[in-house]
Parts: sequence; structure tokens; C-alpha cells
Amino acid sequence: MLLVPCPNCGPRNSTDLRYGGESHARPDPNTASPSEWRAYLYLRDNPAGWLRENWYCASGCRRWFSIERNTATNEFRDPPLPGDKRGGAA
Amino acid sequence: MTMSRQGVQPTEVIDRAAKLRFRWNGKRFSGFEGDTIASALAASGEQIFSRSMKYHRPRGILTADYWDPNLMVQVGDDPNVRAGHRLLESGMDVRSQNAWPSLNRDIKAANSLLGRFLTPGFYYKTFMRPRWLWPTYERVLATFAPGGKIDLDTSHAYHDKRYTHPDVVVAGAGPAGIEAALAASSAGASVMLVSHEHSVGGHLRYSSDAADQAALVELRTALDASDVEVLTDSTVTGRYEDNWLGIVQRNHPIAVERLIKARAKTLVAAPGLIERPYVFEGNDRPGVITSGAARRLVNLWGVKPGERAVVFSANAEGDAAVADLERVGTEIAAVIDGRTGGHISSTRGSSRAVDAVVADGASIDADLLVVAAGWTAPTSLLNMAGDRPVYDPAAARFFPSDPPSNVLATGGLAGDADLDGLRQHGAATGRLAAARAAAVRHRLQARTARALPVEGDEPAWAPDERAPLGRDPHPELYRADTHGMVDMSEDISSKDLVAAAHEGYDSVELAKRYTTATMGPSQGKLETVNTVAAIAEARGETISEVGTTVWRPPYAPLTLGALAGRMFEPVRVSSIHPWHEANNVSVIQAGQWLRPDHYGDPAAEVRNVRRNVGLIDVTPLGKLDLRGPDVPKLLSLLYVNKWMRLGIGRVRYGMMCAEDGVVLDDGVTGRLGEDHYMMSTTSSGAGGVWEWVENWLQTERPDWQVHVTPVTTAYASINVAGPKSRELMGRVCEGVDLDAEAFPYMTVRQATVAGVAGCFMWRIGFTGELSFELHVPAGHGLHVWEALMDAGSDLGVAPFGLEGQRIMRLEKGHFIVGQDTDGLTLGPSTGLGSLIKLDKDDFAGKPELAWAADRSLPMVVAIQPDDPGVVPQEAAQIVRGDTNEILGRITSSRYSPTLNRSICLGQVEPDLAAGGTKVTVLLESGERIGATVIDHHAHFDPAGERLRG
Amino acid sequence: MAAIGGRLRRRPPRYSAAALAWKGLRGESWPRVWRDCDLKRSYDAVVIGGGVHGLATAYYLARDHGMTDVAVLDKAYLGSGGSGRNTAIVRSNYLTPEGVAFYDRSVHLYEQMAVELNINVMFSQRGHLTLAHSDASLRTMHWRAEVNKLGGVNSSVIGPDEIKKECPSLDTSDHPRYPIQGALYHPPGGVVRHDAVVWGYARAADHMGVEMHQKTEVTDIVCEGGDGPDGKGAGGRVTGVRTNRGDISTPIVINCTAGWASLISTMAGVRLPITTHPLQAAVTEPVKMFLPTVVVSGSLHVYVSQTDRGELVFGASVDPYANYSVRGSLEFTEGLAGHVLELMPGVSRMRILRQWSGLCDMTPDYSPVMGFTPVDGFLVDVGWGTYGFKAAPVSGEQMAEAAATGRTPKLIEAFALSRFDNGELVGEKGAASVGH
Repeated sequence: MLLVPCPNCGPRNSTDLRYGGESHARPDPNTASPSEWRAYLYLRDNPAGWLRENWYCASGCRRWFSIERNTATNEFRDPPLPGDKRGGAA
Repeated sequence: MTMSRQGVQPTEVIDRAAKLRFRWNGKRFSGFEGDTIASALAASGEQIFSRSMKYHRPRGILTADYWDPNLMVQVGDDPNVRAGHRLLESGMDVRSQNAWPSLNRDIKAANSLLGRFLTPGFYYKTFMRPRWLWPTYERVLATFAPGGKIDLDTSHAYHDKRYTHPDVVVAGAGPAGIEAALAASSAGASVMLVSHEHSVGGHLRYSSDAADQAALVELRTALDASDVEVLTDSTVTGRYEDNWLGIVQRNHPIAVERLIKARAKTLVAAPGLIERPYVFEGNDRPGVITSGAARRLVNLWGVKPGERAVVFSANAEGDAAVADLERVGTEIAAVIDGRTGGHISSTRGSSRAVDAVVADGASIDADLLVVAAGWTAPTSLLNMAGDRPVYDPAAARFFPSDPPSNVLATGGLAGDADLDGLRQHGAATGRLAAARAAAVRHRLQARTARALPVEGDEPAWAPDERAPLGRDPHPELYRADTHGMVDMSEDISSKDLVAAAHEGYDSVELAKRYTTATMGPSQGKLETVNTVAAIAEARGETISEVGTTVWRPPYAPLTLGALAGRMFEPVRVSSIHPWHEANNVSVIQAGQWLRPDHYGDPAAEVRNVRRNVGLIDVTPLGKLDLRGPDVPKLLSLLYVNKWMRLGIGRVRYGMMCAEDGVVLDDGVTGRLGEDHYMMSTTSSGAGGVWEWVENWLQTERPDWQVHVTPVTTAYASINVAGPKSRELMGRVCEGVDLDAEAFPYMTVRQATVAGVAGCFMWRIGFTGELSFELHVPAGHGLHVWEALMDAGSDLGVAPFGLEGQRIMRLEKGHFIVGQDTDGLTLGPSTGLGSLIKLDKDDFAGKPELAWAADRSLPMVVAIQPDDPGVVPQEAAQIVRGDTNEILGRITSSRYSPTLNRSICLGQVEPDLAAGGTKVTVLLESGERIGATVIDHHAHFDPAGERLRG
Repeated sequence: MAAIGGRLRRRPPRYSAAALAWKGLRGESWPRVWRDCDLKRSYDAVVIGGGVHGLATAYYLARDHGMTDVAVLDKAYLGSGGSGRNTAIVRSNYLTPEGVAFYDRSVHLYEQMAVELNINVMFSQRGHLTLAHSDASLRTMHWRAEVNKLGGVNSSVIGPDEIKKECPSLDTSDHPRYPIQGALYHPPGGVVRHDAVVWGYARAADHMGVEMHQKTEVTDIVCEGGDGPDGKGAGGRVTGVRTNRGDISTPIVINCTAGWASLISTMAGVRLPITTHPLQAAVTEPVKMFLPTVVVSGSLHVYVSQTDRGELVFGASVDPYANYSVRGSLEFTEGLAGHVLELMPGVSRMRILRQWSGLCDMTPDYSPVMGFTPVDGFLVDVGWGTYGFKAAPVSGEQMAEAAATGRTPKLIEAFALSRFDNGELVGEKGAASVGH
């Protein structure tokens, strides 16, 4: 059970939160081309490493927040909890 | 080999005064309290406990502990019980699992003769033709499925879970683990010590050495005096993210098994070592046991393992076994020392017992062969933490490499030392674990309580200054000069593994998958390293080069019952529900809600609403209270239509689309005051829309002043519908003019209803009748409902349920999001394209909706079958003529009691959407019927006169 | 074996009961199932990913199009990814006509596979039940049944009594919190021995000359003429790949990876509509057979079948957050057990023996991304979510046709990458969120 550091509630079990996916800026709806808009809707960087993403503290403060997590090791940045992690298989 | 009970041993754990009677394959047996099932049977002279999976070879005791693959039995309705671990209880009904007709005479033992044909993967190479025979072959193969039987009538029984947040969890209660727990506790940490065995002490429990026994007493005394929480017969089954631990407690007084979930700040892994069987011809013959098995049998249960033994020893444990055996009168025929080149090649005898051992080239008569060939380091918890243990050929086992700094290894897993050395390392590990736990605790507190100051600075992350344990040299003993069984539970020999490697399945994972080695109940605890060694040998490589497999959770199996725990799925009902239940309601599940579906006759309910007045409980309808000066902007952003000029007291329908233009939800929103609005959502969309609103407010428009409060369950909601609804409402409402002009359609008023202040009601309605949707503070819902029923008795008031409402909404052609629309239905497809105001500066989904305006899209349309008596089932497909080409589908259908005909909504291709278009509907029966698209959604009262009345 | 267009390099050692007996009597061993080859400097085509999709693609390239100068590269061992981690369920009762036609072809190829590849893949067509616990999900089952029937797929909705008959261990009473109201019954659905499919394709492709290279990791894709850095990206073309064992020049690179599809595609400058989530599975200790069919409950997020070895194999929905770690979680097994006991209270005493997870590339419309990309010569067969295994044969067949002919076959037109640019997604989302 991943601990997700909510900026308001502190570290909480990931099941208390809702995952909101990669953070991407919303293009201007009045000037975006179909390709730009659909890239915003569908295309993802999906890196195996550091990713800025959104979480919603659904069972806590009900705030959306954005944070960086390493998708290979599940570490959060700034600041990490002590007890470093290891990536890879188990 | 005949095992038998001997005189009292100073270390024994049985209570010879407490005799327990039980049954084994129907026959009466007895043992003592403290016996395991296996030790009781062994003491009674039983030699064969199971039959092997493939060849049905007789199998006896191998390790006499939890991991013994040969001791799987059925106890009552409990399959796959570890007889080497499970304590004997009075009255147990114990049966062997994998034998027919009996353990002693097993018909499938004939398979042994076919061994040369049943090579690994043989089933992949045959039974391909003829194809139609495969199902028959499969049924035969399936009869070889090992394991016990489940009883489908077994109840889930009582299971509960426990959550705990200890500073330090110590997995393993040998001397190092106990010392770690004591030291961490002394340093101020809260500590949980988890012992896989029935009592703490690890290998000291079955050591007859006086110093070991003294140490055991000392450690147990210290534990008793400490604050350490000790769990016995419990296992840390998994280490997950951020030291989230699963612990199974098998000896809970009530639960069959209890799952404990612990968020440990540091984890100490001290599982000890598992003795590794040795591979040689006849190594699976009953009478071949590990040195640990011999010592446990003698010292814990007073059982003499055999009359005349050969001991193959490559370490001190083997040497100690010799002494133990001699003490109970086993004659030692020979000690073969594996450290100085002594070797064993095979055993001889029947399939049921050892008669002789071939060692150093000579045949030695014996009924027992005790083997001490080395150790497997159970690195599971470290693997789960991401560590990749490394093989040391000099010590002939794997060692931790670089686990995360909140997981610390000690004891045999970490290295070798004498008892004092192990205890000192354990204590140092405990102190380190406590220091690091303090740092984690401090930071967790600091990050959790923003408003509360946390005392002191964060403690520094304690460096690991433990003096490392040594590594005793040990010969690399995996296979003798003959082939033998590597995996007892799967019947996989070293020959099979070599053959698999030569066939190209030459990495550990491929060989494992191909042969199924290590896939059985002990999950490689005994088999993995020998498997790796066999592959390495076949490839001409070292064990380090071949590498090991990844140990996956759980460390020890745990029941589905323990994992499931208790069922915690809430049931939601409105405050009016007791009335429904007292009035013959038929309920329907709608998510977590139980809702009235009907009260006996939905068609009659519909007719009564159309003629008189009806009440429906619509409490689950989503309701969001919105306050603030920027609410109109928010509504404009989330709905496709315009909201900036909604007057106080007015209500408007709105449709929401997602950013891809797909319909997300719909409902009405009313303005209750200057900066006060109430938004309603669909019942199923209530949670999602709230999150959606918060997401926009918090991430895209944080500067807007809007406060959102979900009030779905703060109000009981009642729709009062029908031509006589105004009259009924007039009898219960105070402080509001209900006249059609004062309170017209699509407006909202606040009122006192049946004496309850703080109600509000809107003049809207899904049914198409004059109606008032009443929202009452939830605690008064039942009172208001009863007041309405009383006040309207002479008006013919009657309740109606969801089914009646669905019929009436379909008569009116109102679509339901998620039923008449789907995951690709764009806003304009609903037929409400005119709502979408592309001249607004911005709203969710605007670009897609703008582009959609130029596309021809599938449309939601109303459809009437040509035969009014035929109701096509929902999901009936609309097809092109007699072909199978799909052009659309019926999304809703009912028989209308108002119109006395079948009516539908459906989605059709754009060129079929015009009124008057004839379509073909394929019924479930296969019959094709004609139907006509009508030119508006409403089958009934398309002008909406009744509604506005 | 029909070697249409494919040259048989050497006579395959046939598998049969007679051969087994002969070798058994003589104590002979079997030859290598596929060769160990040196990596060449150039190939006509390179397939990245030695799972069922990559191997099937290579096999059909050789068999149907005579392209045998093909290398399949895998950074670990064959079948090390999703191919060996899935729950091996095969079915074709999808929701959309495109899905039904596509997976129906796959079931057909699975039915032929044991004979065609001369390896027993143990396709056990034991029937597949998708349970409905609400009127909304029952409506979806009817929808699927109707579309299935029109596509010629054997699929129908049955009620609790019939469910009980097919699968007596299910609790069809009204006691559970969400009672079973009906099920979509799909008799041809079943389970396959997934590893055997991997080995079968590898062995058959090897016999036609295709090379399998394990422990060969692609570190870059070499492109020229594209609009991005290093000639990558739209408008460019592929000229080769770099690996940990050396560079290879090739005009065709087919990305058949799962879990790493985004990273591989990024090497060619192609961005994908993919988010990677682990999907977990678990297996119990064996017990004697009691569960005759595959059982799926979308509402309870669980699917279960009993293997011929007697184990229950379970899966659920993907993990909630994007993630490349395959460590697994406790909450997964807890949720799984709770839901299974809702369906079958009698299995409470069965023990979970092992849990594992694999990486799934989820797309917004629960359908794959197949065919050409804006980079000439770079093809993708990705985005397989949780349903890649069951599609492997037909995907291989269709991808091989696309790569060999340069044209998109009709069966996979709906799954083109370009659909995300023109907003014409596939409608499987409703049915496939836990679609096993």
C-alpha cells in the first residue's frame, strides 16, 4: 500500500485517494487544432521514471493536488519519506 | 524405517499427560498435546503420508515442518493442511489427499512405470490429434490435480482484520530476531515480533545443547518482561510499498485465520535459514529426512526417526543430529562427512522404505538416511522490497545485496556466527531499526500535522554501523553423482531439468514454467536453489551466472477467508425506506442504494399518476449546494448551455459533456438566492459530478469563489406528480403560493411542508405531469411522506416506484445518461444539440462539440414498433433488412399503459434519424420486426401541456 | 504444417505420442525447441518483444508472406512479459462488431493451433460466464449477446438457474450483497496454456528461419527524415535499431511490446495514447476440480478459473495508478478474496499461494493500437490493455499482413493510431473495463 503524501493530510494510504493521471496543461479551447486538442485528451508521455501527476484526496481533504512520482520506484519527491525504494520486479 | 515415541526429552514440547484422539484415514490414532499431526502419526509408526503428484510414489516425512511438501493432508473441510506444522487437536478427522483408493494401495502408482515417457512437458507433445478427443484427455489429466477437496457448503465463518502501526516489525523469532525485538523495544520503539513457529526460539527450540537451552530460557524470560508484542504461529506474508506488511495469524482464538496489516516504520527480516534437501537417486524414498527433521522429531516430540541411520553431514547441524539420534537409541551405521569428500549416491529399498544407503561406493544397511547438505536463504521479504540477493559460492547460499534502508536483515539470512555473535548482530539490528523508525515517525508526524508543531529536530538517519556477520564456508552440495528428485511436490527430477535445459528451456524462468518445478505448495522454499543448480550444471555455468528466480508474495500461503475479512459493503436507503418496506415494496439495487422499484403493479402506478397524483422517493438524486458569486461562471463552464442570466427562483435543465464531448451527466440547477444555487445530478453520477466540479474549481479556476457542498443525503427527495399534485401540495405547504402563475414550471421555491421548515421544491418532473420535486431535511423525510399520503387519501394518492417512473419518462422521451447514451455518445447525438452554445467563451468539451456540429453522428431517437403489442427487449439490434449489418439498437423499451402500445428509445445511424424512417429490429427470438422512428422524442404529450399545467 | 510461402529450413522434430514413446524407449532427448543464433547486422524485419504477439507476427510473416529474414528481440526471455503473466482466458464475446469479428478470428486460430503448430496448447473450451449483478449490467450482457449473435459468435444471456447448472459452485441465491441476476454465457470461451502458445510460435517460426534473440535489449531506433531530433518522428523512416548486442539495420521495425510500448515508440519519435498500469493475478493451492467454467464478474472486478492442475487462477482490474513496478499489493489480494467469496463462499479455506503482476498498456477506448505510424517502417501492435493474450494469433496474422504488404488489413482498420487524431474511438469501453 503506497503512502501518498497529501499536502494537507500528510502521508495517506493510496486507497484513500483517487488517481488523476498525468498533469497536462489544457490548450486554449478556442484556438486549439484538432491534433492539439486530441493530444491533450489522449496522448501521454507515460515515462518509466519521474512523472508529474494529479491525485484527489477523496477520503481526506477533498483537494486535488499535483506531485512528482517515479513510476518505476514509486518514490515521491519533495521530500521523500526516509527508507528509500528500489525499482524492478518482485 | 519405523519411527516410535521414546522417553521424555528435556526439550520436548508435548504434554504427555494430555492425550488427544483423532482419526487418520478413518482409523483411530492418538497423540499428545503439543504434537503436530505429523509427529503424532510418526510416533504411531506411520511412514507414508502422501502420494506424489505425477507418479503417485509413497512419500514420508522430509523436513517435519511447515515447508514439508510430503505432509499435505485434509483436515475436515480444510484442504492442504501442513501436517508438519498444524498442531494436533482432539477429534481431528485427518485424511490423505492424493491417493486412490488408499494411501497404501494407489492405482496411479502404475505411472511410475511410465516415468521415461512422462518427461517434462510430455503433455505439450501429445494429445494434439484428433482435436475432438482433447476434452476427454483433459478430463483424465485433470484427475491428476493434486491437493485436497473443498466443501462448497463451508461457510465463510468469522474473519476479522487488524490494523497496526508498530515502529518495528521483526519477522522471525530465532535468537537474532528476539534480540532485535528486545533491543528495539529497549530503545523506545513499539515492536511486534512475528514467529512462524508455535513458540519463539528458532533453532534453539530443538537443540539439546545445554548452552542453547539456557539461552532460550533467557531470551523467553526477557521477552516476557518486555513490551514486545509477540505473535506465534504467525507469518509476515508480504512486504509491500512503504513497509506495508501482511501478517497472517493462524492461532487466533476465534478467527480461522486473521490478517493483520501493519505499517511498520522499519522491518527486520530474520527468517533464519531453510535446510535444503540434497538430490540423489532415491532421495524421495520414505526414510530420507533432513537433519532438521531428525532433530525436531527427537527433541520436540520425543520421536525416534529410525533404528539404524546413515548421516550425511556437511555442517554442524548434521553433526548435532548424530548426537540426538544416538541419544534416543538410533544406531548410527555411518556418518558420511560432506566436508571432507564423503559422498552419498543413492538409497536402495522398496518404494516405501529405505533398506540401504550407497555411500562412498559401499552399500550400508540402514532404514534412515539423515541429510545435512546445506541451506537456502529465504530472501522473500527482501525480494519483495526490491533487493536482488547475491550468491556466494564459498558459503553455498544467497545473501542480501542492497535492501532499502528501512528493511534490515539479521540472523542466518545475514550471515553466520556462533550464538553470541548472532545475538549481538540481532541486538545491533534492533537498535538500528529503532533509530531509523524514530526518524520515520518524526517525519510522518511532521508531514501529517501541519498545524501542530512536532517537538525537536528530525533525528538523523542512523548509519548502519553493525559489525557484519561472517560467512561460514560450506561445500556446494546440490546434486550427487546420481539424479534424484528436485521438486517433491511436482515430481520433477534433476534429470527432467537437465533435459528441459537441453531442449532450450535453459533460463531458470523458462525451465520453471516448462517443468513446473518450484510451482507447488512450498513455492521453491526447498526447491529453488537445487533447480538453479541443475540448470547451471546443464548450461555449464555457475549458479551466480544463472541467477535465481524472484520469490513472490505471500511468503506462506493464507486463506481467502483471512484476506477477505468481513464484508463491508454499505447498503444505502432513504429515510422513507421503512414506509416502503411496510407497504409491499419490491426493491431494486441501484449501486449501493436500495430503491423502490414498484409496489405490486407499476402499470397501475403509472395510470394513477396520469389520472390522480403519485409520490416517488427520489432521495438518491445527486444534489450539490453551490454558493458564491462565481457560481454562474462555473455552471457555464460545466454545462453546454448558458447560465449567466438565471433569475432567482428559476430552474434550468443542463447537459454536461466531458472534454471529449461525450455526455457525462444531466440534471436541473436552480437559483435559490443571490449567490446560492442547488445543482441536481443523476443518481449514479452524484459522486462523479462532485469530483468533476471540484477538479475544475481547484485546478483550472482556483480564483473563482464557489463553495461546493454535497447534500445528496442531507435531503430526502419526494416527487409529487400528477394532475392533482397542486391540490395535494396546497394541503401541506405553508408560506408559498402554489398557483401556476406565482410558481410556474421550471421555478424553485422554499417552503415549510407539513410543518417542516427549510424545504425547497422545484416545479419540474421527469414524468411529464404537473409535479413538485420536494427536498426535505433528511430526518423529516418519513414524516413528510406520511403527511402527503394522509393528506391525499381522498385524491387517490399512491406511491410509485422506479419502474413507473421509467415508463413515464420513456413516454416523454427523456433519455437516461448511460442507458440511452454510451461511452461514445457526443452531446449533439442526444437530440439536444440546440442546447450547446458554441458562442460561449469556454466550456468543457467545447472544441469537440464544435467539430461534432459538422459531423453526421448517430442519434438518440424515439421508435415505435409497427406492432404495438411487441416490446423489443432493451439492447435489441437495429439491422439493415435481412442482413446482419448493425445500424443501431434499442436502448430503452416498455409497454406504455398510457398509450397502450410499445414505445422505445434507440440509437441509430444518422441517415435513419429522421421522423418516419422505417427500421428493422431484430428480436432476441431471431424474429425481425418493423418499427418507425418518430419525429420527436416524446411518445406522449409532445407539447408538454400537462407538465406546465 | 502448411508452410505457405515459408521455406522450411530443416525438418521439424514432430511432437506426437509415438515420438514420445520412441524417444522414451531409446532414452533419447529432444532437440532444442529454437536455435541460439548470432545476431546479424541486418534483417528484413525486426520484431521488438518476444511475447505471443511478437512471435505470432514473426511466425505469420514467415508462413504467409515468405519473410523469414526476421529477428525477434526480447530483453529478457521469450514470454517473460504479459504472455506468461496473464490468466490465459480466450473469448470473443465483445461488444462492438469490430471487436467481435477480430476476436472471433482469434478464437478460430486458437482452435487450430495445436494441430497447426504441432504443440498441445491445451485450449480448453470449457465455457465462459460473465455475471451480471444489476439490471444495467444485464442490459449490457444482452447488448453483447445480440452483437455476438450477429457476428456469428455463440453467446447468450442465461438466468440464475441455468448458471447454477453450468457452475454449481456459484452462489445464485439472493443472499449476496449483489445477487447474480444473469450471465452472458459463451460456450467457446475458455483457457489456454499460455506458455505453450509462446513456445509453439517460437518453435514454428524458428523452423522457418526466424531468429529468436533473448537477452537482447533495444536501446534506440534509428530513423531518418523525420520532423523530430535525430531524424525521428512524423514523416521519417526507420533504418535500424540499436541493441545491447550491436546495431542492426532494417527497413521494418514492429513494436510488439507491452508495458514498454510507450518507451519503445518514443525511440522512433511516436507518442502513444497509452498509460501503463500493472495488472495483478494470483493463484491458490490446488484442490480437486470443482469449477467447470471460466467465471467473470465485471461488477465485482474479478475473474476466476480452475487450472487442470487444480489451482484457482484469479485476476482483477488494473492497479489504480500508473506504474512500472510489478511488485503487487496486499489490497489486491484482499479485494480479490472478498469478491470471490461473494461468488463462491465455499472456497473460504483455500489458500493463496502466489501473486504476481504484469504491465498493461491501457488506451482510452479499451482497444489496441495496431498498424502504421507517422514513421515509415515503424509499425505498432500495442495498447493491449488486459486483453492482449486472447488476441495474439489474429494480431500476429494481421500485423504480418500489414508489414509485408504495406496496407492495413480490414480487420484492424478500426484500431489504427490515427483514430486518436480524428476522434473516432472504438466503443469497447463500456464492456471491457474488467473484460476477461
